[in-house]
Amino acid sequence: MNILAQLVISGVVVGMIYGVIAFGYQLTFATSKTLNFGQGEALMLGALVGLTTINFLIGQSLGAFTAYLLMLPVVLAFGLLQGAVVEFLGVRQAIRTKSEAGWIMATIALGIIFKNLAENIWGRDALRFPSPLPEAALTIGPIRIQPMEIAIVLGAIALMIAVEVFNRRSIYGKAVVATANDRDAAGLMGINTRLVITFSYALSSMAAAFAGVLVAPITLTGATMGAVLGLKAFAVAIIGGLSSGVGVVVGGLILGISENLTGYYISTGYKDVPGLVLLLLVLTFKPSGLFGSAAIKKV
Amino acid sequence: MAQLNRWPSQDFGELTVKRSLFAFAILASTALTSAAYAADTIKIGLSGPFTGGSSSMGVSMRDGVKLAVAEINKAGGVLGKQLQLVERDDEAKNEVGVQVAQELINKEQVVATLGFINTGVGQAAQRFYQEAEIPVLNNVATGSILTNQWPDAKANYVFRNAANDTIQSAMIAEEAVKRQGFKKPAILADSTNYGQLGQKDLTEALAKMDIKPVANEKFNIGDTDMTAQVLKAKEAGADVILTYAIGPELAQIANAMAKLGWKVPMIGSWTLSMASFIDTAGPNGDGAMMPQTFIESPTTAKRKDFIEAYHKAYGGDRMPSPVSAAQGYDSAYLLVAAINQAKSTDGKKIKDALENLQTKVEGVVTVYDHPYTAKDHEAISSNIPVFGLVKGGRVVPAHPEDVAGDKALRIKPKS
Repeated sequence: MNILAQLVISGVVVGMIYGVIAFGYQLTFATSKTLNFGQGEALMLGALVGLTTINFLIGQSLGAFTAYLLMLPVVLAFGLLQGAVVEFLGVRQAIRTKSEAGWIMATIALGIIFKNLAENIWGRDALRFPSPLPEAALTIGPIRIQPMEIAIVLGAIALMIAVEVFNRRSIYGKAVVATANDRDAAGLMGINTRLVITFSYALSSMAAAFAGVLVAPITLTGATMGAVLGLKAFAVAIIGGLSSGVGVVVGGLILGISENLTGYYISTGYKDVPGLVLLLLVLTFKPSGLFGSAAIKKV
Repeated sequence: MAQLNRWPSQDFGELTVKRSLFAFAILASTALTSAAYAADTIKIGLSGPFTGGSSSMGVSMRDGVKLAVAEINKAGGVLGKQLQLVERDDEAKNEVGVQVAQELINKEQVVATLGFINTGVGQAAQRFYQEAEIPVLNNVATGSILTNQWPDAKANYVFRNAANDTIQSAMIAEEAVKRQGFKKPAILADSTNYGQLGQKDLTEALAKMDIKPVANEKFNIGDTDMTAQVLKAKEAGADVILTYAIGPELAQIANAMAKLGWKVPMIGSWTLSMASFIDTAGPNGDGAMMPQTFIESPTTAKRKDFIEAYHKAYGGDRMPSPVSAAQGYDSAYLLVAAINQAKSTDGKKIKDALENLQTKVEGVVTVYDHPYTAKDHEAISSNIPVFGLVKGGRVVPAHPEDVAGDKALRIKPKS
């Protein structure tokens, strides 16, 4: 078996998860220059809501696969709503008063509240998420991969393409792009930029919630599952650049693959180091990210 | 003095309140100096994680203790008083454990505390009991250091009735190398204190048999992908995986092995019996082996009664963590025997009684015959645990001959 291929494939799977979450960071940053630091918690809430829904549907004697498909719209809708709530409670006020850091504190605080809420509703135990696909691994050439891992990669790409197409083709999406390009001008052209920002937050949490139900079947679901993923995705967003959709995907892949290769070829104790070193290098030499366009702040 | 003039008037009600408040204050101050003697119950603290990743152990331990306390109270209590448990959730967090310890000692004024699942919590919280001279019966946490935290102190108030990591790591090495003949073990341990101290103990135990692990891998709590660790063990040619970690990550290892289509035996610390491992790994976890002081099977009359009483009280047909339940149950009986012998609830007298326990305590795990001495605070010796095996979602004896006949009851040799 080709070890390198196996490591790279496993890295790609983890990297795509990072990528989807980071994609969410990028969505809100584009329209409002703010981020939801509770992105990991949005992922966790999505996974837990998904778990309750899928267990309910399986209880209605549906198959795991059908239940999973029916659960997806519920989770996506929940994600949209949750993101809108975060924007309304945590970000709107900060943007209105042009506060530089208010939204940072507010989104972190909301994340903590969501985590405590989840602990009270779902308990603090890690829960098993029913897998919609067979758990036996497939052998493809030199590598072995679980069907769910393939679904993660395809699902992540599909979601990002869907959002990008929506933004480029639909009239609503054009409002988003216009706001991202120049918020004041867009406002003057009659675009309700406040609504656009709320919408971008909703989309961002939707991406995170979707990532949550993608990753849940290959790991465990619980109130603390989002913390590490949210943080790593943040590193990915910095590496790839917050203004680039392609950047976060590539950033995610770089981090996921480098973790696995370091774990194997150097030491599993240093698994997280190269990603962080890369983060520092990017911040030093190309602060806007590998794929980001340099931000020129006019004062 | 203005109030004095109004005394005979309708303010009489207020006066009574004041007087009774005064009386209460006196009572309270006497109570504070000798609360344990004044109360008509004996308060015992119980500290463990009842929520979170290690809650299956904490809850089982608590249920075992509660079962024993209910039996003891039904039989008339201790020194003519009923036992009262003060349960607190330490959430497996060191800082919460410290708060719980302070509350139990200062506010609740417990005479002793049972509990601790997590070595870190025990390490952080036990020193408060040591300073207050209140005995701790550590019934689950396994870190070797816990009964030897203050080697220079005159007295040690920490006792244990769980198999510590020195015993467990030696057993794991013995089982893998001597009994099953594996030559190339790989160690997979998590990055917590528990995993890393266990990994060190294991490496030392293997070194005594002139075996060097072919791989020594680490992972973090919450890691979603174990491919790199498992691949490394596989490529190093490991013929057995030795583990020191907790349930969810152990399950990730078993699942990663299944994904890579590689199957070698998994032998590890007792946490391989955690429900979170067995349930999450499913069939992939079958065959995993770990040292157990108690396996849920009625091999003695006492064990049969205990298993039946447990399921009658708490339902179900499988204890979430049988070892924790049994050790919790036994710890309550050990404490009660000591209080009875001391004829007092004074911490120092209980400690002295524990170190020289005259009555044999018939527990679920073993019969405790002089389990502790002034120097030795470990009730479980290396001959007591046997290997358990995960089979069809339950832990069964790995070698039935080890628990057959009179071998079922294993007793600590007299020192």
